[in-house]
Amino acid sequence: MLTIHGQAARYCDGVARRGFLKIGGFAMGSAAPATLASLMRAEAGTPSGNARHGKSIINIFLGGGPPHQDMWEIKTEAPREIRGEFSPIDTAVPGIQIGECFPQLAAIMDRLVVVRSVVGCDGAHDGFQCLTGWNRRNVESIGGRPAVGSVLAKLYGQRDPGIPASVALAEKTSHVPWSEPGPAGFLGAAYQPFRPNGKGMEDLTLNGISLDRLEDRRTLLTSLDHLKRAADSRGMMNGMDAFTEAAFGVLTSSKLADALDISKEPAEVRERYGDGKPWKYQYDGAPTCNEQILMARRLVEAGVRSVTLSYGRWDSHGQNFDLVRDHGRKLDQAVSALVLDLEQRGMLQDVTVLVWGEFGRTPRINDGAGRDHWPQVSCALMAGGGMRTGQAIGATNRLGEYAVSRPVHVQEIIGTAYHNLGIDVMNTTISDPTGRPQFLVDIREPMKELV
Amino acid sequence: MSTAIRILCWLNCCAAAALWLLPTANAQAPAGSPSVSFVNDVMPMLTRHGCNAGVCHAKAGNGQNGFQLSLLGFEPAEDYEHLVKEARGRRLFPAVPENSLLLRKATAAVPHGGGRRIAEDSEAARILTEWIRQGARWDGDSAPALLRLTVTPAKGTVPRGQSQQLQVAAEYADGTVRDITQRALYESNDRAMAEVSSSGLVSVTDLPGKVSIMVRYQGLVSVFNASVPLGANVDAVPPAQNFIDELVFSNLRELGVPPSPLADDSVFLRRITLDVAGRLPTAAETTEFLSSAAPDRRTAVIERLLASPDHADFFAGKWTALLKNRRDDASDITSNFAFHAWVRDSLLANKPYDQFVREILAATGTVISNPPVAWYKRVKEPKQQQEDVAQLFLGVRMQCAQCHHHPFERWSQNDYYGLTAFFSQVGRKPTATRGEDMIFHKRGAAAAVNIRSGIAVPPAALGTAIPTIAADQDPRLLLADWMAAPDNPFFARALVNRYWKHFFRRGLIEPEDDIRDSNPPTNPELLAALEKHFIESRFDLRELVRVIVSSSAWQLSSTPLADNLVDQQNYSRYYPRRLQAEVMLDAIDDLAGTRTDFPNLPPGTRAIALPDNSYNTSSPFLRVFGRPENESVCECERGQSSSLSQSLHLMNAGDIRGKLAFGSGRAEQLAKSDLAVEQKIEELYLVAFSRKPTPAELQTAVEYVISPQTDAAGAPIEPARAVREAFQDLVWALMNTREFMFNH
Repeated sequence: MLTIHGQAARYCDGVARRGFLKIGGFAMGSAAPATLASLMRAEAGTPSGNARHGKSIINIFLGGGPPHQDMWEIKTEAPREIRGEFSPIDTAVPGIQIGECFPQLAAIMDRLVVVRSVVGCDGAHDGFQCLTGWNRRNVESIGGRPAVGSVLAKLYGQRDPGIPASVALAEKTSHVPWSEPGPAGFLGAAYQPFRPNGKGMEDLTLNGISLDRLEDRRTLLTSLDHLKRAADSRGMMNGMDAFTEAAFGVLTSSKLADALDISKEPAEVRERYGDGKPWKYQYDGAPTCNEQILMARRLVEAGVRSVTLSYGRWDSHGQNFDLVRDHGRKLDQAVSALVLDLEQRGMLQDVTVLVWGEFGRTPRINDGAGRDHWPQVSCALMAGGGMRTGQAIGATNRLGEYAVSRPVHVQEIIGTAYHNLGIDVMNTTISDPTGRPQFLVDIREPMKELV
Repeated sequence: MSTAIRILCWLNCCAAAALWLLPTANAQAPAGSPSVSFVNDVMPMLTRHGCNAGVCHAKAGNGQNGFQLSLLGFEPAEDYEHLVKEARGRRLFPAVPENSLLLRKATAAVPHGGGRRIAEDSEAARILTEWIRQGARWDGDSAPALLRLTVTPAKGTVPRGQSQQLQVAAEYADGTVRDITQRALYESNDRAMAEVSSSGLVSVTDLPGKVSIMVRYQGLVSVFNASVPLGANVDAVPPAQNFIDELVFSNLRELGVPPSPLADDSVFLRRITLDVAGRLPTAAETTEFLSSAAPDRRTAVIERLLASPDHADFFAGKWTALLKNRRDDASDITSNFAFHAWVRDSLLANKPYDQFVREILAATGTVISNPPVAWYKRVKEPKQQQEDVAQLFLGVRMQCAQCHHHPFERWSQNDYYGLTAFFSQVGRKPTATRGEDMIFHKRGAAAAVNIRSGIAVPPAALGTAIPTIAADQDPRLLLADWMAAPDNPFFARALVNRYWKHFFRRGLIEPEDDIRDSNPPTNPELLAALEKHFIESRFDLRELVRVIVSSSAWQLSSTPLADNLVDQQNYSRYYPRRLQAEVMLDAIDDLAGTRTDFPNLPPGTRAIALPDNSYNTSSPFLRVFGRPENESVCECERGQSSSLSQSLHLMNAGDIRGKLAFGSGRAEQLAKSDLAVEQKIEELYLVAFSRKPTPAELQTAVEYVISPQTDAAGAPIEPARAVREAFQDLVWALMNTREFMFNH
């Protein structure tokens, strides 16, 4: 699916001007990475204190709306036409049961949190809310709300010069809002996530010229670029230099390309995540691409602060149970592998994992063995981020129609993620284009059960 | 001395002569104990300690934990209700005032989400306790109103690294004057230059320049303006061409910051062509200009560019973005093209600015018969129309005052709805064209309902009463009259500041559309002089540009001197800026000898002439480089910052690669041409930088082109291909230099 080097003839289609270095008598101007990183922070206008911290988020969007009653809370007391085909299974945490399609997650329930009572869903078939915490219409006239990844890019900048702050892995789906990468909103284009599978991928892979020729160009540029940086004491030129250097870094050091290249991962690890194939029930939605979940881990390991991806197509108006069996089994494998992998690498405390969709599904099963849209209540799976895991939060009523205890608003989940990412959600604001300070979310208390 | 008397007597020995300290008048005060006033004593304490901040109890909805206060205490009557009566009066405990929930929460004696706001033995605690002891009386109807705040000193020079204590006096309607230095709130407008303590001690850093401290108390605002001199020698000052130079240079002398020398002819030509016409000078223009010895050659270029269609294109792009010429639907195309053409034609004809604004503001009819109606197509609601007009044409941000009194300004909700009322009689009815309404004046008395009071507010222009408007009179015309009056305090100022920023990168007031008492200009005399000049020229936009670019101040070199490197706000040199998205795309096409085609537009249409935002979709370049989507009335919507995506794009994107390798592009043509290599490189430099290469640059480039090439296997490659690729590399390298990407 993903080819890092666009052309096989990468090293042999061009000319080598390495000799130019000696002919011209110039030294290659390469700046120290630490300096560049600090310049880039300055450019992004960020406080430097937290800029290097290693906290990240992986936001796995289950586009279409997963059936809440078939995932983390099986309604055993509901009548047949509601209950569905699945039985609950015990988990590693006594007293918590989840659906039978998720045995591997059940086995690591102590590292997970399931929220059974997510409320506040817009009801739109759109990833926007799960990435931002907001309705797409909110402050739309000034650009709309930024996603978590763009906020991190704004507040913290990049952790590593060769690695973008925010990456969106979702490939464009024919129902476009299911592959929402996470909008930069009113923060502006500079804070858009990097999309390796979209147009950006073309820029990322060195196409058309060889690495040697790129090095020649870089040398030439260094030797011709005379305008004094000092002319710009606001750091714009330095910032641009840093990004230029970073772009060379991306193109030459291959850190980002490497992070996206899962073939560099040992076969044993790849097997643990699985590939999610064959991809079924896809239609106009995303595939169950388990490799993207592995890629997400590689990206946060390389220094990406936010990775978003869209996993599967859960809009189960028909054949709901077959779909959950298929998608669920694959998701079970990939997410449990991710959590354990992060734990083994000592990263689980720093990486918040969210797995959720835009709304829940109707209690009553329809004639086609499907379930329809049900924004009244939804569900979420959370892990890592230093949260107190091993909990099931909230509950729906006997029929799974609405939250009867601890309704958790979508914004609380995003707010908790911000909290995990080291942001003081209560007090942090970002100025919108009109100069008005905007909070990241309106419900600013992180979930007290988790922090 | 009793507690109560201590509360009210902050005798400041130094200022005592000027300040009379009297207890607040209240006829019902118990004998012997000066009464504590709710509005004049208690409310300021709640504000000072942050109780009624937006994140705390003034949080929209219900306030934190169900206790609601008005934002920054602008609604004392409501606050009194909530404090005293709400929740069955549980917040106050008159029998033992110290045990009131209000105090126990504020002192964190019981758990408080906001933490400990005041100490138990603080002045604030004493005031609150004493007020409750005296019966927690409401005196909002009888307490003397606060008339003015006086900061002493109001302005002054503070040497770098030193500090200045402010004194603040509040004057009340009953003649009382109180020292409220310890009660007011202070805020620096540039914390890199000055910090201010909660008791009004201003500490300036090492940065020279102008900095202001806003002082806020009971809804009034006053300002201390500090000038922090560098104290360097300012002898060599370029000749003053006009009043701008006199005022810029006198400010620099005052600050002791020397200006850089004038820029040379190459830099001047490139700069003015980019700033006035939004494009690079052609090689021919550059050659001609650089060979001219005429003493008035700069003036001649200014006049030529001002009259050029490029100037109209460039500024039409600026204005149509702010006027939200946005393509939301394919059917918008007619309207967007018509509106863009109207703006461009207006600028080309140098239509007086007041007339330009009047034609938009008071537009009636259909888009086809009267294109400025398009603005009403995009901006539909009276409140939105009012907010846009205020911010764009008056430099006043009214948004805050929709729901509460503006926190930093004198604007109340009545001001908000009074200004909105001018748009209340805008009628619209559908036309045969989908999505397009006919705009007309709807007969009737104009008014807008204040959402808090529920009262319909008649038209009022930001503090200026407007004579009663007859039902058949379009109120928008009166608004336009008011705006264009020579004594209007906002209209001309907002425009000259906006244009100043275009040319100098930094507004005299910053942000350029946030003009308020608490955000003073860095050079008020200069702003006033520009305003006067603009009004006296009868709102002649071209004359404004002319006077700006003719000044020596604008023609200064961007290369800093040791003594003005730190200056970022006094125009001691030209501050470079990255070319904006459209200009850069055109510049790259000029350099690469290519063109970018846009859907539905004639081939050869340049990016700066694009009528609306829809082309951002087809051009990843424009999107990545921050061309606005025309959604905001704020220029800040345009992204001017750099990003990794931009660098990757310039380095490696398909459209750039295509331009470099274009069959009839510059690299190809130079490779084929019979000219000497040196001449070819000179041509590249003339186009990219409007100058000839230095000998060292020439040598580098020539060697790059003629050095023998081998492929990865070490075999020599065909010379024609080697030369072609060498020129591609050269074009690429020049395009990626700071000298190219910046107007400097």
